[in-house]
Amino acid sequence: MITLSCPWCGPRNVTEFAYGGESGARPDPATATPQPWRRYLYTNANPAGPVTETWLHRAGCRRYLVVERDTTTNEILAIRRPGGAPSTSARHATTGRATEQRP
Amino acid sequence: MAEPTTAGPAPQPEPLARSPIPTLTPTAIVAGWEVTDRSSDASTRLADLSPLAKVHVRASEDGALAAALDVRFLKAARDDYGVLITGSGPGEWTLIGPAGTAGDIAGRLSALDVDERITIVDLTHGRALVRLTGDAGSTLLATVCAVDLDEHTMPDGTCLRTSVARVVTDLVRDDRDGVRSYLLHCERSSGAYLAEQLRQVGEAHGLGVEGFAAAGR
Repeated sequence: MITLSCPWCGPRNVTEFAYGGESGARPDPATATPQPWRRYLYTNANPAGPVTETWLHRAGCRRYLVVERDTTTNEILAIRRPGGAPSTSARHATTGRATEQRP
Repeated sequence: MAEPTTAGPAPQPEPLARSPIPTLTPTAIVAGWEVTDRSSDASTRLADLSPLAKVHVRASEDGALAAALDVRFLKAARDDYGVLITGSGPGEWTLIGPAGTAGDIAGRLSALDVDERITIVDLTHGRALVRLTGDAGSTLLATVCAVDLDEHTMPDGTCLRTSVARVVTDLVRDDRDGVRSYLLHCERSSGAYLAEQLRQVGEAHGLGVEGFAAAGR
């Protein structure tokens, strides 16, 4: 059984969670053009290594949480509530979302 | 030609509520609900308590209402009226009281003088509720629930929301007279399935089915 430790509920089976995709900064609705919105909504960096993701504890507290995960080993590096300070390893992954190489 | 009558329309019978979990004979009527009316000698027993009032409350985690309820997330306790207050989520409570008292519970909450936005919803008819009583309860649940229900991780007076038989279920440890007991409630549409799953896995533990009154709330 793969477990994720919810910041509110504690360790739970990963089947209780829903994957929400890579985390990234939301474009400013007042100034963003359709292109950054499309990148934000539909593209991913998919790095081989540490990445910061959003998960939802849908069968538990129904809160979103931030998971730092190594995609090559599936190792969970850190889990925190949204808005919590990212760890050093996660800072690299966060910047990888929706890179400009995508069309 | 018949004389016109002055009498009004014939009185309608009181509506009868039914649990999503099929009742077993014999049945009885409790607070407008049809319930199973039987007892069981089994050491581990399952009872359908869906008629119990279920009131869902949302408010700030650290606001005035949270202070008034005085039950934290993952905890459960009874108030002065005998209503079981369960901290079912962060800033979220489910109050479980005697059948037919949902309006009273909601009224008492509304009357609290709290300066914050709160929502109160009567979920009595929207959720199925069962009580699983007996020392084998945790062993039985372990076959359909991945959470460790050991005494030190989930003692009496605790609650959590998790997956039971792949159904999102609120699980409350509420011992009865020193006997281990759990309340499980889920969406009404999943109630029959959840109860049937518990009955099936309980066969190996000699699980008996008892009625609403025999379960003693």
